[in-house]
Amino acid sequence: MKRITGILILIASIFIGCDSATEQNGYGNLVLHFEHRVDNSAAAYDMMIYENAAGNNYEITEIQWFISDPILIEKDGGEWPLGADDWIHYIDTDIESSIRWEISEKIQTGEYTGIKFTFGIKGERNTPGIFNDPPESNMIWPYHMGGDEGGYHYMKLNGFWMKGEIERTPFNFHVGVGQLYDQENNIIGFVQNWFESAISVSGFDVKDAGVTELKIVMNIESWFTGPHVYDHEVYGGKIMNNQEAMGKIKENGNNVFTLEVYEE
Amino acid sequence: MRNNTCLIYSKNFGKRIALCLFLLPLWMLSSCDNNEDILPEIPTPYVFEEVKHFPTQLNIPHQNPTTVEGVELGRYLFYDGRLSGRDHPDSLMSCGTCHIQSQGFEVSINHLKFTDGHPFGLPTPDYPEGKKTPHMTMPLFNLVYNSSGYLWNGFIHESNGQAGMEGFEFMGHDDLNYKYLESLVWMAIVADHEIAGSIEQTVEMIASIDKYKPMFKAAFGSEEVNIDRISKAIAQFVRTLVASNFKFYKYVRHEVELNPSELRGYELFFSEEADCFHCHSGSLLMTTNDYYNNAKDTVFEDSRDRFAVTNNLMHTGAYRAPSLINCEINGPYMHDGRFKTLDEVIDFYSEGLVYSDYVDPLMKNVREHGVLLTDEEKSDLKAFLLTLTDNELLTNPAYGPPSDIGEYLAR
Repeated sequence: MKRITGILILIASIFIGCDSATEQNGYGNLVLHFEHRVDNSAAAYDMMIYENAAGNNYEITEIQWFISDPILIEKDGGEWPLGADDWIHYIDTDIESSIRWEISEKIQTGEYTGIKFTFGIKGERNTPGIFNDPPESNMIWPYHMGGDEGGYHYMKLNGFWMKGEIERTPFNFHVGVGQLYDQENNIIGFVQNWFESAISVSGFDVKDAGVTELKIVMNIESWFTGPHVYDHEVYGGKIMNNQEAMGKIKENGNNVFTLEVYEE
Repeated sequence: MRNNTCLIYSKNFGKRIALCLFLLPLWMLSSCDNNEDILPEIPTPYVFEEVKHFPTQLNIPHQNPTTVEGVELGRYLFYDGRLSGRDHPDSLMSCGTCHIQSQGFEVSINHLKFTDGHPFGLPTPDYPEGKKTPHMTMPLFNLVYNSSGYLWNGFIHESNGQAGMEGFEFMGHDDLNYKYLESLVWMAIVADHEIAGSIEQTVEMIASIDKYKPMFKAAFGSEEVNIDRISKAIAQFVRTLVASNFKFYKYVRHEVELNPSELRGYELFFSEEADCFHCHSGSLLMTTNDYYNNAKDTVFEDSRDRFAVTNNLMHTGAYRAPSLINCEINGPYMHDGRFKTLDEVIDFYSEGLVYSDYVDPLMKNVREHGVLLTDEEKSDLKAFLLTLTDNELLTNPAYGPPSDIGEYLAR
């Protein structure tokens, strides 16, 4: 009897082992959605209805930005970097198709807890001329302001704020490679302002031949606070040549993104 | 697999090989005859050379592939004043009337007839002096790289779902209407501020010209003339007009150096201080081909602005940013030609901006009325703008009028 039981256990374990192996070797699909929110609600455009941490009333016209080098975080802490074909994606609030990114590479089945990505483009990848077609090519960052590792804006967030609380004034919240200037205002060096963001949920599965859909949320109000309060009255409408402003934005960026499992 | 004609390894090898030698030439001759009867003449595909730093996506509808023969036919029609459907010297008009090669395929302020740079159509009973165009002409180069819409307001765009002209179907391709360059040809023929003619008249006139018969056959497989083919041929020609041979382009390619003033102007152009590049850059087309309200006005009465296309209130008073290539010669400037010289344009962006609720946020200096350049900065900026002139475009015979159009050349 013990021998029969042993044989049955062995057969069962072989089958279970086979299932497990199949699961390990299976692959699923991944779709990333993007949403832009202010104060936990979907962003509304062209309306002067928001107030930032500095007390500036502001409105948003459009947001254009790059996400790059996405890596899925496995439950055990391991990483599943997405492939070369999926290294970068452009998001534009005026281009509906851009807020959905269907990853072309198959993802290994299993349990995951989050995603890590670069906001903008790492310096060594951000070379001038990598994009010749619009809309990506319209994100160009001037060569003399970014050098060989500063080809493109990371983000353009355009809008208006109530200057002095009375004058609707444009602002270009543009982030990219910063510059260091000498006393004669000559550029003597560059500062990379891209950063990595790691965001998570309690967990999600990638199933064999299934489609896993996640949503990356940009919480816009967070660009203007935590740890730094960003005041349009201080930095004005243009900051591409203001590393102090972009440095604060970079640090505030750590709290800007959150992750959700996508539900229609 | 056995060959039906020649069975080599057989008993009657000698007889069979003799039969083969007899039949083979007959078969070859008969095949040749059949090919000539059945196969149409196939136009030669036109190869667009890759231009580094220019977009790789070409705006060419699949219904109208570019061919060498189509381009050549289009070049003739582009310059043949009888496109108006009339052959009287006072009634000649074609694309080349307003889009002049030596002026960067615009009218410019040096035009013999349109002396202020603002063109008008052929005379009609309602407009005996000719009706002025609603907007200035736009330059006709590098259009193959533009997928963001044609005309100042982008009305002609692939996403445009409007049906064609009332009572008129686009000869088997009604999906071309208002979507591609092709549409602009028949629109120009019937518009009362341009040719002010009729499609039937134009087709009849072109069909009556013997020279065109073999050209239509070479381009489209038969001698039939219709508006679809006329539009397609001209669109093919216009797509080949490429301007990339300007000094700044060569500088980017490390082929030439800019002088100190041009270099300072270049850095100003691509800076937050003068901030031209956000609208006039992207690739080296020197435009994003996007639409902006650039703070020219406070009152908006033009029914053909970007708002007319999108119905988005924030697009009120917005127009496409034109390419700055050849801006040295192709004024007057802006959609309404309000500025005659480059100096006036620079002055406007320096201290002439006016705020409205519809101004584009990229005009971030609007509250200061402009970017407030010094005289030296203005001079440097202009020096840079002059590095955008492509003389090859202005003189290349392949883009110019055919020598044998003679008296019918559109002027």
